[in-house]
Amino acid sequence: MIPAQFDYVAPTSVEDALAALAQHGDDAKIIAGGQSLLPVLRMRLNAPEMIIDLGRIESLRGVRDDGDAIVIGAMTPHAVVGSDPLVNEHAALIAKAVEHLADAQIRHRGTFGGALAHADPAGDLGAPALALGAEFVIQGSGGTRTVPADDFFVDLFETAIGEDEILTEVRVPKHTGWGAHYEKFVRVAHQWPIVAVAAAVRVDGGTIAEARIGLTNMGSTPIRARAVESALAGQPATADGVRAAAEQAAEGTTPPSDLNGDADYRRHLARVLTRRAVLAAAGS
Amino acid sequence: MELTHRFTVPASVDESWAHFNDIASVAECFPGATVTSVDGDEFSGSVKVKLGPIALVYNGSGTFREKDEAAHRFVVEAKGRDKRGTGTAGATVTLTMGAGAGSATDVEVVTDLSITGKPAQFGRGVMQDVSDKLLGQFVDCLEQRLSEPSVTVVPDEKVAETPSEPLDRQGLPETTVPKHLAEETVPTPTPAAPRPAPPADDSLDLGAAVLPVLARTYWKQAAGALGALLLLWWVISRSRR
Repeated sequence: MIPAQFDYVAPTSVEDALAALAQHGDDAKIIAGGQSLLPVLRMRLNAPEMIIDLGRIESLRGVRDDGDAIVIGAMTPHAVVGSDPLVNEHAALIAKAVEHLADAQIRHRGTFGGALAHADPAGDLGAPALALGAEFVIQGSGGTRTVPADDFFVDLFETAIGEDEILTEVRVPKHTGWGAHYEKFVRVAHQWPIVAVAAAVRVDGGTIAEARIGLTNMGSTPIRARAVESALAGQPATADGVRAAAEQAAEGTTPPSDLNGDADYRRHLARVLTRRAVLAAAGS
Repeated sequence: MELTHRFTVPASVDESWAHFNDIASVAECFPGATVTSVDGDEFSGSVKVKLGPIALVYNGSGTFREKDEAAHRFVVEAKGRDKRGTGTAGATVTLTMGAGAGSATDVEVVTDLSITGKPAQFGRGVMQDVSDKLLGQFVDCLEQRLSEPSVTVVPDEKVAETPSEPLDRQGLPETTVPKHLAEETVPTPTPAAPRPAPPADDSLDLGAAVLPVLARTYWKQAAGALGALLLLWWVISRSRR
């Protein structure tokens, strides 16, 4: 179907984009890579009067080193993020998740910041960003603020980004030398996960020193499996060492029930996939 | 598709039924639908819904098929159409009250939905999440109000005293209320004769649901709007493609 008619601007600076957003308010919609918004427009589930395209703002693209963190520009396409040397060295979990994100076309059009701002609870980037303690840099007319991942995901499709604000970049603390794995369970290739688990572990002499686990599609937002994280600390990086800790993966989650599986099935998946993800991340 | 929601009210069935007939208690709990006209047992209205990337305006109409005071049951049939004419949906909402444990009342809301509509592109069927959230909000508010014993006695004063957010709509400019209606806003325990509702514009924002205070005297319409909302949630749910 053809979208309803809209006006279009493609500013070249964040300031201009913010000005356009302020001018059009509720009638405006930001477009990043368009991989979620365009289908919505084509199905006429939304009909904004103004589309503000961030695609020409060069400062929003690319990955850079910033001391103890790497900074990923919001408009960096998934494919660029996934193959970036800094990401692979210091935030390998994100590169692993990008491998499983949709298909090649979407990975080249869709953007890192766009997917996170869309905040689909089944999106593949939320759990890794949460697990690695990413910080979200949000710019508004009043200036820039930084929101930790724990506060960024508010609810289903809802984030801390205000209606007059734009997500500009994501700071990911360096996890250099950590093992990482994204274990995604799907029925149809390239689809959203029924459940997925993002795991990063730091192994020291055969023992898991630290672990960070994020769950995808186990609630209305990505969720940290903190019980598993603390249970894993000090365990040997073996199947036996990981099994008991992974049993706690579904604690505190509120998974949905739908045609792909009911809540209990998803809890089961969370436990199994957590075990697999941790073992793969630990290189066992 | 059938959705069932149950909740318990700490009051007897008769009291609860009377409370449900208290127009104010029901309509004011309603997150953001607008009734545009009433004719006998038929009504029409519109709903705006925002959820993430979705923003829709639906126009709907409905009919009270049944209102059985003895069985404490009412049935509303509603249908809605996307303002841009691409999707339609129908729903039947049945609300039943029965005696619960102690002197409490069990309330059951069953919604049967059918739809011709559009698939959307989301990571999972969000229908259940959204309906739970919105209906939960509605039901929490009803529960709260039905638990307040004196709510039907002097509703307007109660309303003014309660600091809860939806009631802030009380502060709507008076100019939006035609004079003859403004004088009649004190609800009575039985449904008032239907009359045209003034148009109002409200958006159902999941982040902050709002209530049209003008609908306060129109509980039937509100129940119909429930149908319209549920249609929408169902549309949203046709998303796992």
